[in-house]
Amino acid sequence: MAYQFDFLSVLDYTDVLLKGIAVTAQLTLTGGVLGVAVAIFGAWARTQGPAWLRAIVGAYVEMIRNTPFLIQLFFIFFGLPSLGVQLPEMVAASLAMVINLGAYSTEIIRAGLAATPRGQFEAGASLAMSPLQVFRHVVLRPALQKIWPALSSQIVIVMLGSAVCSQIAAQDLTYAANFIQGRNFRAFEVYLVSTVIYLLLALLLRQLLRGVGRQLFARRAR
Amino acid sequence: MIDFTLWDIVRNLLLAARWTVLLSLVAFVGGGVVGLLVLLMRTSKRPFLRRATWAYIEIFQGTPLLMQLFLAFFGLALFGVDVPAWLAAGVALTLWTAAFLAEIWRGCVEAIPRGQWEASGSLAMSYVQQMRHVILPQAMRIAVAPTVGFGVQVIKGTALASIIGFTELSKAGTMIVNASFQPFTVYAAVALMYFALCWPLSQASKLLERKFHAAHRH
Amino acid sequence: MTPTPSTPLFSKARRALLLGLFASVCVAALPRPAQADTLADITKAGVLRVAVPQDFPPFGSIGADMAPQGLDIDVAALMAKRMGVKLQLVPVSSTNRVPYLQTRKVDLIISSLGKNPEREKVLDFSEAYAPFYNGVFGPADMPVKSAADLAGKTVGVTRGAVEDLELSKIAPANATIKRYEDNNATISAFLSGQVQLIATGNVVAAALIAKHAPKAPETKFLIKNSPCFIGMNKDEPALQAKVNAILAEAKKDGALNSLSIKWLLRPLPAQL
Repeated sequence: MAYQFDFLSVLDYTDVLLKGIAVTAQLTLTGGVLGVAVAIFGAWARTQGPAWLRAIVGAYVEMIRNTPFLIQLFFIFFGLPSLGVQLPEMVAASLAMVINLGAYSTEIIRAGLAATPRGQFEAGASLAMSPLQVFRHVVLRPALQKIWPALSSQIVIVMLGSAVCSQIAAQDLTYAANFIQGRNFRAFEVYLVSTVIYLLLALLLRQLLRGVGRQLFARRAR
Repeated sequence: MIDFTLWDIVRNLLLAARWTVLLSLVAFVGGGVVGLLVLLMRTSKRPFLRRATWAYIEIFQGTPLLMQLFLAFFGLALFGVDVPAWLAAGVALTLWTAAFLAEIWRGCVEAIPRGQWEASGSLAMSYVQQMRHVILPQAMRIAVAPTVGFGVQVIKGTALASIIGFTELSKAGTMIVNASFQPFTVYAAVALMYFALCWPLSQASKLLERKFHAAHRH
Repeated sequence: MTPTPSTPLFSKARRALLLGLFASVCVAALPRPAQADTLADITKAGVLRVAVPQDFPPFGSIGADMAPQGLDIDVAALMAKRMGVKLQLVPVSSTNRVPYLQTRKVDLIISSLGKNPEREKVLDFSEAYAPFYNGVFGPADMPVKSAADLAGKTVGVTRGAVEDLELSKIAPANATIKRYEDNNATISAFLSGQVQLIATGNVVAAALIAKHAPKAPETKFLIKNSPCFIGMNKDEPALQAKVNAILAEAKKDGALNSLSIKWLLRPLPAQL
């Protein structure tokens, strides 16, 4: 018997899809904001921190960038309980995303800092600012502006990577797709619809980040 | 049931890691070939080819790799093609790799000064000849570092093939976890094996970047 | 990874792209030619492809040598032998076994498959070949005696399995059901304490106890007796007749009974 496509059956589960989109958005928001915060600290540590901190952050960055996100997620969710650390799946998923984005973004922000002319640091020092003040008030913002496109791309990549969080039963969009497919046996239709939704989410996220960039760096627009 | 010693765990993981390496190579080589074709079309003079490949790249860069794997797996089979998990994973990863490599290489090609195009054009070279003899050789020097760096992403991408049932390193890990009841040890071992595969490539990429001094040439 | 900074959100190009996707999906919706007789295909190819579990002992699991073993694997071997063809085992999970059959990656599903109305819409079933009692299991110190006691607790279940569908019907509204993609993940979640209870088959729980799992899943209450059937595509009368004939023969000559004793540690119940 021929396989008859049936896209309308997916519509019966619109509420499940909407919940999935909401959870994906939540994970991305948490991961994005906290991940960038971690990265700013990491980039500072790598450029201006003491040697031991530089080594630790360096090791963290290398570990995360050279292992798959899936394994990082499984390690946090299934592995940590053996050490007594039991994290529910939303916390585990968010943590994994923060750690993942943090590592990649540390490198991106560090590149931005490295491209800052030495004159900026010297000018700040000549105004009797401490290195931390120079970092905060003089060099960070231009560095962020410089690497904002690359950072935005990385956030979109992590949002797409969040699809994997469905594997620990975080109820994101992929989990919703799997759930629907398990009930109506329409795997291809469901996955196609979900893929198109992800594409739209990625486009929206890019626009949003562009807007955020404009807001944050408007005063210094060149 | 049999008890799993640390050696049992490591041995079984290493055996599964062969498939990770194989799938990575297939995706990287296949993705390179397809990526080159996509690159040529993306930079061609015909607007239709440029737009079609732009769409292809947007789709594969703008959707999760996991979804691409699911679609390859369930979708291809519906069109009468019998697709085992390794083949679906291979196809999906190849197409995904090709999209990213094409963009990386496009960046490298566009970094070549227009003067090179004009000079070779004035020698009555066709587009393909220009690419082959003048542009690509120069672009390749710049491209080596990021291409090698992307190899790391490919290896990490193969981990998702476990979700559609292909028994590579990650899948072996989850199976052994439930047979041995040692999730911390097993996942740590899996992570270390991926690290052992990826880190040399990352370092090579950094080395090549410095050697060819690519970013600061122009 | 290279955004185009100046393209508006719904630019002409993006609209064309989405339209193109929609069009290709419509083209794909055109009907395909009908399939041939599967039993004839099996005999011609000389190979029987069977979907079996690999994360669900004692029905299907892996040994320390990573080879599949279990009741379903042995039943598959029996089928292939009595059809006179070679056996090809295809490991699957609860979530993808039906799609595997629908897309003809396998000829039969022998994967502790239960029968229910949703599945009967897309599959045909053989006669039952093994019993299977679904239940909720948990640590000895957890006071749960019935579905109502699940209030405020977390239960792990494999998505799409009969336990999932049945539990979703009888669990109270404030019980948290966490659905995992395959039995591996569900069992991992229970063993690592991410869920307090697990809904699965009684023999699966027994296998975990026998393996001295760190958390022993004692029986809390049974949900349903949902025997195992062999699944196949619809409109395959020849295949269905052959499979049922082999099962009937295996029941009569005791082959199925000895498999039941070997893996389930008890003889086949009389009603089968």
